[in-house]
Amino acid sequence: MGDIVVLVKAAMNPELVRSKPDGSLDEESIPLKLSDIDRNALEEALKLKDKLGGKIYAITVLTWGPLTKRQKDLRMAVQEALAKGADEAIIVADESIIPGDQVSTSNAIIAAMKKHGLNPSIILAAEATIDETTGQVAGRIAAKMGYPYISFVRSMRIENGKVIAERDLEEDLEIVEAPLPVVVSVTQEINQPRPPTLIQIRRASKKPQITYTGEQLDSLVKPKREIIERRTITISRKQVIIEGSTLEEVAEKLIDALEKEGVLRL
Amino acid sequence: MKAMVLAESVREAGEALGAILSSNVASEDTLVLAFGSAAENAEAIAEYGVKVYRAMTHNPEQAFHAARTLYEKIKPSVVLGLSVKNVKDVASRLAGLYDLPMTTEVWEVKFGDGEVIYKRGVLSERAYSIEKVGYPVIILLNPRVAEPPARRGGGVVEDLELPEPVMKRVELKKKELSGVNLEESEVVVGVGRGFKSRDDLKLAFELAELLGGQVGGSRPIAADLKWLPEDAWIGISGKRISPKLYIAIGISGAPQHMSGVMGSKVIVAINKDKTAPIFKQADYGVVADLYKFLPVLISKIREKSGKT
Repeated sequence: MGDIVVLVKAAMNPELVRSKPDGSLDEESIPLKLSDIDRNALEEALKLKDKLGGKIYAITVLTWGPLTKRQKDLRMAVQEALAKGADEAIIVADESIIPGDQVSTSNAIIAAMKKHGLNPSIILAAEATIDETTGQVAGRIAAKMGYPYISFVRSMRIENGKVIAERDLEEDLEIVEAPLPVVVSVTQEINQPRPPTLIQIRRASKKPQITYTGEQLDSLVKPKREIIERRTITISRKQVIIEGSTLEEVAEKLIDALEKEGVLRL
Repeated sequence: MKAMVLAESVREAGEALGAILSSNVASEDTLVLAFGSAAENAEAIAEYGVKVYRAMTHNPEQAFHAARTLYEKIKPSVVLGLSVKNVKDVASRLAGLYDLPMTTEVWEVKFGDGEVIYKRGVLSERAYSIEKVGYPVIILLNPRVAEPPARRGGGVVEDLELPEPVMKRVELKKKELSGVNLEESEVVVGVGRGFKSRDDLKLAFELAELLGGQVGGSRPIAADLKWLPEDAWIGISGKRISPKLYIAIGISGAPQHMSGVMGSKVIVAINKDKTAPIFKQADYGVVADLYKFLPVLISKIREKSGKT
């Protein structure tokens, strides 16, 4: 089998959302991390490689700036992808596509593959990222490259040059097949990512990584989206911890509280 | 302005049409590309008084080719649909082919002169984002953002020819679903990894039954371990619920789960780990072993309600 490309993102971490005093999102101080479901895409790539060979390329496009401030987070995300099994990392980082959108990102990924001379047999991506969660970059890439696209895959195998995959739809599981080369987006249920071993982590820093800027790539496309405003959503909860000397007392106090709230009628 | 609705079901077509027809976008030029069950029921969509192009397929690749043909022919300024999986699949391909800006899970949208402004949740819905893009654009809405328009009748249905797909269906399996309707329930008991076995969930079911509620679960319980059917999965990728009372038992409070219960009036958390993040997102917290506390709570409720 030919090469495997895995799309990964240094995404804003939703567990570390920070806001400015006026309630607007303090995007520059929200750390980036490897987007959760990207780990499943990497794990699936590794499983395919174990069986069928090929080389795994992790491609990432820096979406969130400022460029200089994001180097450490970006490096950490790339290191994690390499430690988890990617053989080589390709990074696109350019001011003209920061903050990026899905138009700029998908074009940058294709430009980087072209520059690197990649003709992958399979491109794996997560069904969505943890920060924007629009789940569209894989489909865009498939259409641009003219590859078949299998979305929302929760199990897959390759047999005789064909991918046989189970798509996880709202009410059905649909089993489909498509010939290689193909783009596949995976859900979190597809596998249990193995944590990298110490040796893998150590080896990761020695694996090749290349960063492309806009000057080195042709056909970067500027983002078409303008972010007007982002604010944190605060729902204040009472956060009352109910205590008591016995569990009976705690239970009674809880029932009382819920009756007073009008949400429990016994 | 021309608009094209992408729909896999009649309900989606109705809501997307409602969003377009209630805006100031010219309604005369709105058409629907119906695939899947929307195609099978194309006449019902035509009753909204719009032209329906019918793509008799469940295959998103074929639906994409149909969408592409129509897009080329009509050059719509807006492609609108709902955020369901096959529509997302089709829309993302169309967006890629023409480098159109696209967004999903939209809460509100305003079609202006020369630009579209929309609002949606980001970062596991811990924040919202207001964004602006120019035409042409693809917008996929959340459910119930708009009401279907009146059925004024007069629409026609035209069949589209479909190319042979490269991706082919081998088999279709119905998911095992419980049929619980967590979205409609006033009381929901949520279960998480604090439960050690599937059998132990009977404690949660007993509590839910006493309170006239339903049981749902976090991702590990419903999606990974499958101790509950998938339609009982609560969270950003599962069901979003807004009961009067949500009781989270043995749930740590991951953002992906909490964004699914944000609409609850009162949240109770029962967890033995006092550092669990859920206590900061709950109205009432009980730091206790669920195996010890639930039997006590259940018997107190029985005692008070006179139910035995």
